Amino acid sequence: MAFKGRKVSGRSLALLGLGIAALLVLVWGGDALSWARDNRVVLVQALVTGLLLGGVYSLVSMGLTLIFGVLDILNFAHGAFMALAMYASFVLVANAGFDPYLSLLVSVPLLFVLGVLVQRVLLARVMDQPHENQLLLTFGLALLIENALLMVFTATPRTVEFPYAQTGIPLGFATVRGPLDVFGAVADLPRVIAFLGSLVIAGGLFYLLRRTSLGTAIRAVAENPDGAAMVGIDVRRMHMIAFGLGTACVAAAGTLVLPFLSLQPTTGEQFNVIAFVVVVLGGLGNVVGALVGGILIGLVQELGGAFVPGVDKLFFVFVVFVLTLLLRPQGLFGGKP
Amino acid sequence: MRTRVQATLLMVAAALVVVACGGGGGASQGGSETIKIGSLHPLTGPLAVDGKRMDQAVKMAIEDINKAGGIEALDGAKLEFISGDTKGEPETASSEAQRMIDEGAVALVGPYTSATAATIARTAERSQVPFIIDVATADSILAQGYRYTFRIQPGSQTMGEYGARYLKEISEAQGSPVESVAYIHESSEFGTSVFEAFQKEAQRLGIEVVREITYDALNVSDLTSELTQAKAADADVIVATGYYRDGLLLAQAAANVKPDVKAVYGVANGAFDLDTFPEDAGDNGNYYLSSNYHYDATSDRARKLRQRFEERTGESMRTAAVFSYQAVEVIADALERAGSSEPQELRDAIAETSLQTELFPFDGPIEFDDRGQNVNAQPIVMQVQDGEVVQVYPEKYAQEEPIFPATPWSEGR
Repeated sequence: MAFKGRKVSGRSLALLGLGIAALLVLVWGGDALSWARDNRVVLVQALVTGLLLGGVYSLVSMGLTLIFGVLDILNFAHGAFMALAMYASFVLVANAGFDPYLSLLVSVPLLFVLGVLVQRVLLARVMDQPHENQLLLTFGLALLIENALLMVFTATPRTVEFPYAQTGIPLGFATVRGPLDVFGAVADLPRVIAFLGSLVIAGGLFYLLRRTSLGTAIRAVAENPDGAAMVGIDVRRMHMIAFGLGTACVAAAGTLVLPFLSLQPTTGEQFNVIAFVVVVLGGLGNVVGALVGGILIGLVQELGGAFVPGVDKLFFVFVVFVLTLLLRPQGLFGGKP
Repeated sequence: MRTRVQATLLMVAAALVVVACGGGGGASQGGSETIKIGSLHPLTGPLAVDGKRMDQAVKMAIEDINKAGGIEALDGAKLEFISGDTKGEPETASSEAQRMIDEGAVALVGPYTSATAATIARTAERSQVPFIIDVATADSILAQGYRYTFRIQPGSQTMGEYGARYLKEISEAQGSPVESVAYIHESSEFGTSVFEAFQKEAQRLGIEVVREITYDALNVSDLTSELTQAKAADADVIVATGYYRDGLLLAQAAANVKPDVKAVYGVANGAFDLDTFPEDAGDNGNYYLSSNYHYDATSDRARKLRQRFEERTGESMRTAAVFSYQAVEVIADALERAGSSEPQELRDAIAETSLQTELFPFDGPIEFDDRGQNVNAQPIVMQVQDGEVVQVYPEKYAQEEPIFPATPWSEGR
């Protein structure tokens, strides 16, 4: 069901585009075009913001979809794991003077191990049980983590400073100072770094899944657990690793956004909601779908907000969500339902 | 067996003697009685930061009153603190309120959010138990015509109107009058109702709101697009209403987009006048103006109270907690005047309140109109100057002159 190479369905993309275009025409008719001419900067800014944010959405969603693809579990604790990683990084930065980006070296392995343990100790016990039990277990785990964070760190918002705010980023030949100018729009440096970091990590995940024997084994388990077991793959082990990898992805995303978001125990929740939309849009269990879907959702959110000021940006995200469920429930990259 | 009966009889007799001796008017309300006050705040969840402090402030006020001799009119009856966690959820708030009333609470204090205030007010009304709102801004709560709900802080209407008025006055006094604003606000009832009141008053004063931009405070993670829209609106000032987390995002985005405005000006903004804002926002927060309800930093009494609170809890006493403390004093004052802890009589006494307060920059005592709103409640204007939040307007409460125009992000303006 997942990770098989699939082409983007032209029909589904066309439908999606058509839906959005129809919506725009319905609401403004020809006004939209002249409005866009007058508000070039607003539009470009929406594109830039949407793209940058979309990259982070992708990384969060990839972890979620990987877990679903391999273990067939919708992990409601995904956002809570993100918050946990953010607090881990926060402690390193605030108490040990780490560079926030260097703290990736701790938060990502830490959450990988935690993911493996959670799968081994908790989820492994309910793998054969009905879906509800797994959902409730991960949901309970989310509440547990969030409230534990609340107990330890209180709800006081924490912030971590962007380390290169004053000095700029030395690149050898030049020093990059933020914010960058993109055709009149601005791109904040920490957001650009989060976007690029997300792409790099996504690339690493693809490499691992496609080019290594471990990745092949994971994909085999996702495709057909019984068959994989028959040829000698340790299915339980692959489940553990997949869950660990999914959690590591969201940990990386959390640490990457830390320099520009303030942190509270519930910070992960907002990403959790978006990630579910992205995963459905991209096709459940499809990692490529999550990457494209994340960026698409980021763009939809920001462009929608720019075209229709006064409406919440997430309105358009959920319009796309509902359209996807109606027109192509298997998602853009999913096969036949 | 026999001795136990005797002992019991003796104790009853002793109790009767004590009550009889202490009793002035109502023997049943003698010195051994305690009067339960219910504190309802979000102690868990994303709002727990202030919720916990507010709860502690209620407890502190009760202890202060008890230490000073309790309620004199009731023979020194002591107040008893009972506490509930609303979790910021309307349903939980309502059931917790009911639990406290069942346990014998004669008055409730809370709750920090407008949504929970609405359900507690309904419960209090049904049970005919007075409810003092310490913090909850939406005017719709009091618009129901409830008889048992009272509010000390200014409502959204007052906040919006004063916000517009202050902006006009400050800008004119500084020789740089504002003619147009772009308004960014969070999209729930709080932000919307403040915006509408501001817009109406601004229009009357000749200030045009050229663009309204909204966002969802719970889900927003970047306000750059919104700030770009505000910049494109080409207004004199950007006005903002929202909570803490989004306030920080706004300061970040403004620092990047650098809109060519005279100031960023918060109205009922939950970020710009908190002590942590200059810390968290860094230089980006410099010169931000904020028209909001606030404790009076020029008052000696407020200073001492906040100092004691900090020594006691290790946390700074923010405005919300000062309101919670004040709410208990309003109840104690009414208990004294009513000479009774019976909820209905207490309610009537609260309605008649005229209590001088030195904790807030109000131009008059706390007095409630027939809707339960404190008629003398008003906001003041604060500004971030040199990394500190200081009061700048009206002059009577000012610690420093307002700096205007105030473009926060440019070096040295």
